[in-house]
Amino acid sequence: MRSALLAIWQADSGFPNGSFAFSYGLEAIADLRGKLSPRSLADLIESVLRQRWASFDRVLMMRAFRAGNDLACLAELDRLCEAMSLLEPHRLGSRRNGGSFIAAHARLGNPVAARLRDAIAAGACIGHLPTMQGAVWRALQFDAPSAQLASGYITASGMVAAAVRLGAIGALQAQSALQSALPIIDELVTNGDDDAEPSSCVPFVDIVAARHMRADLRLFAN
Amino acid sequence: MGLQLTSLTTSADANPSVAARIGIGGPVGSGKTALIEALIPVLQTRGVDFAVVTNDLVTKEDAERLRRSGLIDPARVSAVEAGACPHTVIREDPTLNIAAGDTLEATFPGLELILFESGGDNLASTFSLDLVDWWIFVIDVAGGDDIPRKKGPGVMKCDLLVVNKVDLAPYVGVALEPMLAEAQRVRAGKPVIATNARSGLGVDAVADAISAAVLFRS
Repeated sequence: MRSALLAIWQADSGFPNGSFAFSYGLEAIADLRGKLSPRSLADLIESVLRQRWASFDRVLMMRAFRAGNDLACLAELDRLCEAMSLLEPHRLGSRRNGGSFIAAHARLGNPVAARLRDAIAAGACIGHLPTMQGAVWRALQFDAPSAQLASGYITASGMVAAAVRLGAIGALQAQSALQSALPIIDELVTNGDDDAEPSSCVPFVDIVAARHMRADLRLFAN
Repeated sequence: MGLQLTSLTTSADANPSVAARIGIGGPVGSGKTALIEALIPVLQTRGVDFAVVTNDLVTKEDAERLRRSGLIDPARVSAVEAGACPHTVIREDPTLNIAAGDTLEATFPGLELILFESGGDNLASTFSLDLVDWWIFVIDVAGGDDIPRKKGPGVMKCDLLVVNKVDLAPYVGVALEPMLAEAQRVRAGKPVIATNARSGLGVDAVADAISAAVLFRS
């Protein structure tokens, strides 16, 4: 029960962690496609969950979760995340969201978060989001499935919130897309291979993100 | 243990900020960036070591405007996107701004003051006290002399209300003195300063207020 409560707390959009300013590629897609149907939004969320989150963010988060407070290991995972995030919006977005996530937990008095925030300031760590989530959630005594559920849900709900704020879809229609993502997250957590090499390939999202990278008008950080 | 880990008090480790942090909010076009541009040379003359974080709503225009102004080292200007939510980024979820401030403090040891400029917003915006120690709300006479009477949270709760563009009052049908008197009345004596950021009118008084409130200089 405690781990479930911790996951709800961290996945709640009311928790201030900076993620509201990240669109996970949705802003670029909305620019290209305009309106989204519940089906098309659900398809996009599923693509990102299967082809990026489960095989990349989740794997890195779980490695950091296992590493716990081992700063050298976390720094290595950060470097791996940096090297494998070829697109600037993904790379900088992950760093900045990791920074705001760690700032929130450090301010709340989490000693691991405070240590990581100081390591980032000193240049000893880059501070990518999956690494920071894994380390802090381990310190908060999440169990591994709950940490993965929180991470997956934050990704899906972040895409939904961005689509609504961009006016690409109605708030209720968007919730039907989010609801359809829940069993997918469940399946991906249940069957996830934590020892797999991290990989990410969502061609459509990556291409539109690359196109959007130099856009003059941007509401979101990525 | 996880559910008990968070303490109700924050230690020095939890919040190592040294620089005072102030907010400058207000409606679109009220003159927030112009006020900062006018404050920069005044603060520099007074020897204040400072930096600026902007929260542009749709672009990095305000940050770029300050960086290109020649008034301040561009590295001392940081931009935070507001994710289409100018309220959220300074109130419900100020963590991106907190992190930007932490980065500036790490980059510029000895920083005394960070100014956080809100993206253009409306009369309901307020700053989280997690983010700032003290904040200014900027309105302008061209927005109408009824703004103080509407008693928006921005007007009512800020530490200092700035009424900008006072030079435009005769051209937009605003009786300035009654507008300022009403602002004083609805704020129950909390400070109100009239400015013309373009000419510099009132800018020294704003700098005095900042110095007294958060830099403890008279």
